[in-house]
Amino acid sequence: MMSAMHTSEETKTALHAVVEEMYDKIVKGEPPTMTLPVRTKNNIGFDDKLGVYKYGKKRSIRDATSLGSAKQLLRALHVVEFIEEMIDAGKSSTLREMYYISEAWGLGKFSSQNESNNLAEDLEVVTKCMREDFKLRPEEDGARMIGNLTLRERNRRGEWMRINARDDVGDSGYGVPYNVEEEKIELLEHDINFIMAIETGGMFDRLIENGFDEAYKCGLLHLKGQPARSTRRILKRMSEEWDLPVVVFLDGDPWSFRIFASIAYGAIKTAHISEYLATPSATYLGITADDIEAYDLPSDDLSSRDEDALKAELSDPRFADPWWQEQINMMLELGKKAEQQSLAKYGLDFVTDTYLPEKLADLGLA
Amino acid sequence: MAGTAERMASNQKQVAISEFFEKNKHFLGFDSLPRSLITAVKEAVDNSLDACEEARILPEIKIQITKLDSNKDIIELKSEDNGPGIPKKSIEKVFGQLLFGSRFHAIRQSRGQQGIGITGVVMYCQLTTGRKTHVRSKIATETSAAIVDIGLDTRKNKATKSGEGRELWELPDGTLKEHGLEITARMKAKYQRGRQSVYQYLRMTSIVNPHADITFVDPDGESHHWPRVTERLPRKVESIKPHPHGIHLGTLQRMCTESTDSRMTVFLRNNFSGVSSRAAKELLAAAEIEEKAKPKLLKADHYRALLEAFQGERMLNDKPVKLLNPPTNCLSPIEELLIKKGLSKTIDSRYVTTMTRAPTVTQGNPYQVEVGLIFGDGMAADKPVEVLRFANRVPLMYQQGGCLLTKAIESVDWRQYGLDQAGGRGVPKGPAAILVHLASTNVQFTSEAKEALADNAEVIDEVRKALLEMGRGLRKHLEKKKKMAKTQEKFELVNDIIPAIAAKAASILDRPVPNLSGSITRIMGAVIAEPTTAWNKETKQTDVSITLFNYTTRARSYTLLASWPERDGATMVNNEQGGRKEATGVWAWKLDTLEPGQTITFTYSLTGLERGDWTDTDIFYRGSQEVIGASKMDEKLLEEIRRQEAATTGEDEVSQDEEVEAAPEAVSENNAEVPAKTGQQTLMGFGGDE
Ligand SMILES: Nc1ncnc2c1ncn2[C@@H]1O[C@H](COP(=O)(O)OP(=O)(O)OP(=O)(O)O)[C@@H](O)[C@H]1O
Ligand SMILES: [Mg+2]
Repeated sequence: MMSAMHTSEETKTALHAVVEEMYDKIVKGEPPTMTLPVRTKNNIGFDDKLGVYKYGKKRSIRDATSLGSAKQLLRALHVVEFIEEMIDAGKSSTLREMYYISEAWGLGKFSSQNESNNLAEDLEVVTKCMREDFKLRPEEDGARMIGNLTLRERNRRGEWMRINARDDVGDSGYGVPYNVEEEKIELLEHDINFIMAIETGGMFDRLIENGFDEAYKCGLLHLKGQPARSTRRILKRMSEEWDLPVVVFLDGDPWSFRIFASIAYGAIKTAHISEYLATPSATYLGITADDIEAYDLPSDDLSSRDEDALKAELSDPRFADPWWQEQINMMLELGKKAEQQSLAKYGLDFVTDTYLPEKLADLGLA
Repeated sequence: MAGTAERMASNQKQVAISEFFEKNKHFLGFDSLPRSLITAVKEAVDNSLDACEEARILPEIKIQITKLDSNKDIIELKSEDNGPGIPKKSIEKVFGQLLFGSRFHAIRQSRGQQGIGITGVVMYCQLTTGRKTHVRSKIATETSAAIVDIGLDTRKNKATKSGEGRELWELPDGTLKEHGLEITARMKAKYQRGRQSVYQYLRMTSIVNPHADITFVDPDGESHHWPRVTERLPRKVESIKPHPHGIHLGTLQRMCTESTDSRMTVFLRNNFSGVSSRAAKELLAAAEIEEKAKPKLLKADHYRALLEAFQGERMLNDKPVKLLNPPTNCLSPIEELLIKKGLSKTIDSRYVTTMTRAPTVTQGNPYQVEVGLIFGDGMAADKPVEVLRFANRVPLMYQQGGCLLTKAIESVDWRQYGLDQAGGRGVPKGPAAILVHLASTNVQFTSEAKEALADNAEVIDEVRKALLEMGRGLRKHLEKKKKMAKTQEKFELVNDIIPAIAAKAASILDRPVPNLSGSITRIMGAVIAEPTTAWNKETKQTDVSITLFNYTTRARSYTLLASWPERDGATMVNNEQGGRKEATGVWAWKLDTLEPGQTITFTYSLTGLERGDWTDTDIFYRGSQEVIGASKMDEKLLEEIRRQEAATTGEDEVSQDEEVEAAPEAVSENNAEVPAKTGQQTLMGFGGDE
């Protein structure tokens, strides 16, 4: 498995190419520009070799002919300079810190946190480097993990620590750090049959309390809603390096469908690094649209936003296969959505004693 | 309103004052405690303004309100002016006698109309607190001031007085007051804040009386000052005789019985406006009254017949008798520039536009409509605009919804002019205040409370027209602002951002900073004009600076033109660029060829203006390539303006010749055709690109 990381020199060279594009344009007497792939669902396509969705060929040119995009270019230059400084000083910062640091950038300062996040992503996309190469950390912490698996993590003193995610952790499990590349984490050994990724903390804790990881010999991973990059990255590494099946257990609503798509095929916003983040072998376990009927689950009506999201998914290439089309259409017809925890209608043990075993049996995992 | 006054006069004889007051308090304005206070202030201020106007004095008015007993709502109102004062012998009549008004019989635009005004306040004080009102009056010809306490004997319905005397009226600075009047009245009343408050009343009053200096000390001791913004007194209001179209039967009857004229023809010609001797004969023929009949001896049937002839119901040879329009020089509009100043004084904002319509006539009554609009920062953007209504310079504060002026505002689709308005009807929303002023010799109210103007299709149409024209001005302003913002952005782009990009890129790559001119020319691709107009505190001049940037790849040559307030008496100085006059208020400069990337700036100053008179210079150009920030000169329009100018000068001469004997109709027609007076107004029409 190759690392997603680049060396400092590679990163700097890639960043300089961005700066050179602007500089050369000015020398030629033209407005400075920055060329980057279009980052919408209209420009993602399935990469057969990698088995994930990647950005297509569409490029957009951000040129300095309007005040807005000229400011974007100036900000990009400040960010490049800032990254170089961090690389040289061996430091890292969070995206939020960078946003506040930009206060000192005068005309190049960000007007919102969202803007700085987007620009960091823009730079990743153009340079094909990763945020980690830029020494930029996300705000959200990674996920929690429990199960009989062992890994090595390098601590702040640079020493390797061996951790078993069942025996060496408390009830909250092993906390996944933001950098899960090989320089930071090594996967050692395990005694599990599959990994289950879970959307909500309530359900994660329910399965732990019921001893599900022991009973079914699996690793449990709490996604915390839309999973952070490091969560998706470690899931991919475990699935590939240990050759383990991954099942995904989410709420039954349009937003959960998207979470699954980002885990399995890559997110639209990070399609430039899908091959590092996506786990194409992952399977959607539930809650499916037919579960709502089959298990007669307590449900809520779809809001108009939900309906719009489902309709958008119908034309999203990541949901183009017949099974997903059927699920989405079925949910639209039902007009209902249901949460994972609605299974508690039949008692606290129903999920571990009946629902999950039935679903896993369908996949040959139980 | 004359009918009301007469009825009240007879009422007064029959019923006790307290009863009279109780019955009529709603239209006397004393129906609630907060309103009573506003009414009292209003009566005092109206009188002060009227008296000063008549005596051609720039008014200085001070109102002070003190709470004496907050439990019992006892308030002391002190009002002081610098008017002519009232001679000692008249004080008692003015303050103690109902209907003693000096302007009761005259028809012309004035605030006070009935002669109840200040006496009503004295009555109200007597009835609610049992106390007399203290008056101090100083006239210029006497050294000391007369003082007296005036009250009313509620049983005998008679004025009472006490404490009569004389004193030296010393001012806080130790000098003696030259002339003026001071009233100290104690009444049961309540001081409130908000839309219907003494504060708002005085604020509105100051807007439409830019020549007045008004100070208000509120019950908390806080002082509010609305300074005078012009030294110009309102035009002297001329009295006019009633016009047959606007007369009521009762008035006609009274005029006849009081007349000493020997025959009807003379009576008609002498007592009415718009009646020539031929018209007098024709009216009498239509009414079947003998020409030599004595007015005093007319019969009841005759009045009615004459009135019908007046109104064209009785015709001569199947045609109504043709009458001339009444003269309109009896009106006193505030005039655009002064409304502008008044508005920007009390609401601190950026954009003010005003519009004064030519005077015209409805039902025999001359009237004139003025509107103003202030737009910009400091006002709530999501609330209905503030509506400021005035009749004859008197603020209208109640019954906004039922008023003709509000209805006219509501009937305009403001969305097309850049304000929010649900469904294109109703009072629009936005950071704005709209002012409407109706000046007329006979303002028709919906009720005797005189708070809302009664419907009149002609008047509403006239107000609408004024609002529409003003709306167009607002739209142009907003469009211009948008354009300017865009230009401003481009400037920021090439002056700040591009150089910053170049510098940062060079420093990251460790290379020299590249030359920017190529990129900048490509980005702008335009010629840009940037005028600035600013008041210079030191020189008391308005400094104008015009910069032209050529951000194109070719050399360009232009003639630039600028608007300036020549009509308002400004003079252009320090104009080193020279140039020449193209029309009144339009100056032109032929500029040297501008090479690519080249910039030229030239300046001049305007004298003879006050701060705020001229804040925005419009720029026009002649040349092939478009200039951002300027409008292409519309040569046809310029031609038109020059023609109008020539015509106006001609007409002015004619009307001067005729002034002595001006036929009323000719006057009004004349007025209607004279183009708007301010240069800004006329120039708004320029700019063929819109
Ligand atoms: N402050 C003043 N200075 C000089 N004269 C005054 C002053 N106040 C009142 N007067 C004189 O007293 C007269 C009577 O005033 P009053 O307020 O009773 O009636 P009005 O103003 O004529 O009509 P209205 O009833 O509409 O107020 C005025 O017409 C004016 O001649
Ligand atoms: Mg009065």
